[in-house]
Amino acid sequence: MGDFFFGLTEWLRTTFLLDWAFWIETTGFNKLLVTNFWGVPIAQVLHIIGIGAAFAATLMLTLRINNMAGMSRSVPEVSARYMPWIWWGLLWIVGSGMLMLWAEPVRNMINGVFWVKMILLVVTVLITLAFQKSVQSAATVGGAGWNAGGGTKATAWLIVILWCLIMAHGRWIAYAPV
Amino acid sequence: MASYYPEPTNIWESIEYSSLGTSIAESLWAFPTLETIHVIALVTVFGTILVMDLRLLGLAGNKWTVLQMSKDTLPWTWAGFVLAAITGTLLFTSKASTYMVNPYFLWKMGLLALAGLNMAYFHFVTYKTVTEWDSSPVMPGGAKFAATASLVLWLGVVFCGRAIGFTLGIYY
Repeated sequence: MGDFFFGLTEWLRTTFLLDWAFWIETTGFNKLLVTNFWGVPIAQVLHIIGIGAAFAATLMLTLRINNMAGMSRSVPEVSARYMPWIWWGLLWIVGSGMLMLWAEPVRNMINGVFWVKMILLVVTVLITLAFQKSVQSAATVGGAGWNAGGGTKATAWLIVILWCLIMAHGRWIAYAPV
Repeated sequence: MASYYPEPTNIWESIEYSSLGTSIAESLWAFPTLETIHVIALVTVFGTILVMDLRLLGLAGNKWTVLQMSKDTLPWTWAGFVLAAITGTLLFTSKASTYMVNPYFLWKMGLLALAGLNMAYFHFVTYKTVTEWDSSPVMPGGAKFAATASLVLWLGVVFCGRAIGFTLGIYY
């Protein structure tokens, strides 16, 4: 695993990303973030808050689909409560992530762990989009008493696990040598 | 095996130089792994508290009664908190004396205590009359205050938690 990430980072160093990262370091906004001691920590706090909001919303929806919580409301009602928080939360996460990326471009972009995290994020977003679409239509047709099938329940948990993997990679960015 | 650590001069050094503390500090993977679990646990705590506090403020989830929302979120808040406390304690053992002189760590502990007191007051005092306002979209002042205080305190906990990582070499 360590060899894989090391090799990936070595390859990233040979791509246009290195020059791009160096260019970002010359921008005024980068200077603003790095010369202010609290710039990066505040961006990280904003990132964590967004993850909390979106992850908890994902978890509550997953629990409802698995009949483990929120049973007083139908699946479409639970979706209506939590789906905007997942998507607006994700937008917030991307925004705060951009701040972190702009502050430390080399640490992030020349880092295999960061790019695996990005791939996991895209995969999670695509699975979530397809999943929410299929659940919405099945739950609307099925009415208030709709009960998800085994595959749907498992996919909901898969999305939670993917979120955990994304968070794990986020933390390990700091420990990967660049 | 000979120990490469000096004789501890206080309780925090005793914890740090214990076999548990040194094992975590010396391991390449233990600290980041514990930190990862700590992060997943704390976002679960913060996120589920946010869901409950937004309901108490009447800002989201007003179709749920307060009792239902509490029943849905509280087990996950507690599960996340226990996991965060265990992993946090293990992280602490690896650098106990460094953390104990870090003001952000001390602030974090203080804010955690205040968040606990706020929660206790809400549950044992304000919550006693919950059946009267359970399904109301308009919450009593005590509930709104508890929710606001909870959000402010937990934001403070998250901020101090991050600040610790950026100030460890400054105070010690």
